[in-house]
Amino acid sequence: MEKNIIIAGFGGQGILLTGTILANAFMLENKNVICCPCYGAEMRGGEVNCEVVVDDESEVCANKSEADIVIALNQLSFEKFITKLKKGGTIIANSSLVKMCKPRSDINYVFAMISEKAKELGDIKTTNMVSLGLLAQIEKLSLDTLQNAVKKVFASKSQKLLNLNFEALKIGSNCAYQS
Amino acid sequence: MEKVLLKGNYAIAKAAIKAGCSCYFGYPITPQTEIGEYLSEAMPALGRGYVCAESEVAAINMVMGAVATGVKAMTSSSSCAIGLMQETMSYAASDELPVVLISVMRAGPGLGYIYPAQGDYNQAVTGGGNGDYRTIVLSPSTVQDSIDLTYKAFYLAQKYRNPVILLSDGFLGQMMEPAVLHDYPYDEIDNSSWALTGAKDRGARQIRSLEVNQEKQNAHVYKLFEKYALIEKEEVSYEEENTLDADILLVAFGSMTRNIKAAARKLREKGLKVGTFRPVTLWPFPSKRLLELSETIKNILVVEMNMGQMTKDVKLAVNGNAKVYHFGRPTGKWVNVDEIVQATLNLGGVSYANI
Repeated sequence: MEKNIIIAGFGGQGILLTGTILANAFMLENKNVICCPCYGAEMRGGEVNCEVVVDDESEVCANKSEADIVIALNQLSFEKFITKLKKGGTIIANSSLVKMCKPRSDINYVFAMISEKAKELGDIKTTNMVSLGLLAQIEKLSLDTLQNAVKKVFASKSQKLLNLNFEALKIGSNCAYQS
Repeated sequence: MEKVLLKGNYAIAKAAIKAGCSCYFGYPITPQTEIGEYLSEAMPALGRGYVCAESEVAAINMVMGAVATGVKAMTSSSSCAIGLMQETMSYAASDELPVVLISVMRAGPGLGYIYPAQGDYNQAVTGGGNGDYRTIVLSPSTVQDSIDLTYKAFYLAQKYRNPVILLSDGFLGQMMEPAVLHDYPYDEIDNSSWALTGAKDRGARQIRSLEVNQEKQNAHVYKLFEKYALIEKEEVSYEEENTLDADILLVAFGSMTRNIKAAARKLREKGLKVGTFRPVTLWPFPSKRLLELSETIKNILVVEMNMGQMTKDVKLAVNGNAKVYHFGRPTGKWVNVDEIVQATLNLGGVSYANI
């Protein structure tokens, strides 16, 4: 089964990095995966999104279609991508920046104060990693694999930075949410 | 070897380095800019040549000059800017120079749009330059193919002393996928008999495309076409699945291949006998195999992100033996699996129903 995950937010929130880490994690689990960063006339502070499509069995399609899961880190992307969710899909919203409302009745909602959690950890820049941890919690992804993916992508970074990101993943994976 | 998550454009750039490309000349254009961006750092670090040229015309001519000296060189560009390079492609074909051109398609015609499309099939396969000539055209459908076929592009260019185009698209260029960056698998070709390396201890050599005598000009083109016949005999490459019992054949090239394969799986689940076919070499085109397949398969749907450019070659290949339909659109969202399934179910009806 193919699963399409869209990660979206402001430019600067680490959207593309999150997509890259998630795609690396799927790769480490020997799944077929593609990661499609949006491109075009984008700018810092503008809307950025990244699609990760994973398939257990066969080659992933060249597809930008309806999503199974959306991670919306700001209000704009919540509004834009809620319409792209499949019936029965899940939207994970950063309620630090997204108003809690449920415009569709045929999808699942996960609201969590993701940016607040990152701030509590001491670095708001880890918002993206907390959201990835939360995705792991909802989707039952292996935290170990995600950590290995972080290691792979951050190969040249310090242990301190790695530890910070591991911690952010863990906080996300234990984070309380409202559905 | 270990798999790495690689963007299609970076995969091409990394493979070019491993293939022994000594010089890159280029001019930026979306959606292929990452190739030049990567090489701008990597090539000087390896002591190899990198020039951000003043224009696409300059870039391709620099490639022609470099390969004339016997080194491997390439450029990369997209659609409208590939259009600017066509004069040199014709010269390189006539001069028999192993130019490697990476073409990452965006939408056209004209300046078009930066989003992906497959509208440069004709441009690559039939060429926009003057005269009777051929360029070898390779079409990757995955990031792994982007590596393997970049290697093959350098190899075939050297082997046949002929320009080769790697025809990727904006989707494949921008997306990341796991791939293995293995070593260049081909033998090096000896070019000491023709390369312009300085006439020390030997007679002078000339590489030119001008013959002032019509008989010599004819002889030159006939010689080129003997080479093209050899390439057509030796280098046709394609991939097919489930064609043995198929009633319907889905045909696509490049990244669209992924979607026809998925559509075929869904259609098989519905009980339709559907096979898939993908030309890996767009020239030489696998016409012979398509003709064989048309002995038993009477309905062919060609799915491409253009208005039917490869469809024409499929029609020529099957020569009236099967009905050939086109499904696609000029640009935008890649035709998705469900659309292909629906189009297949509606075969024989309206072929442009999705527009």
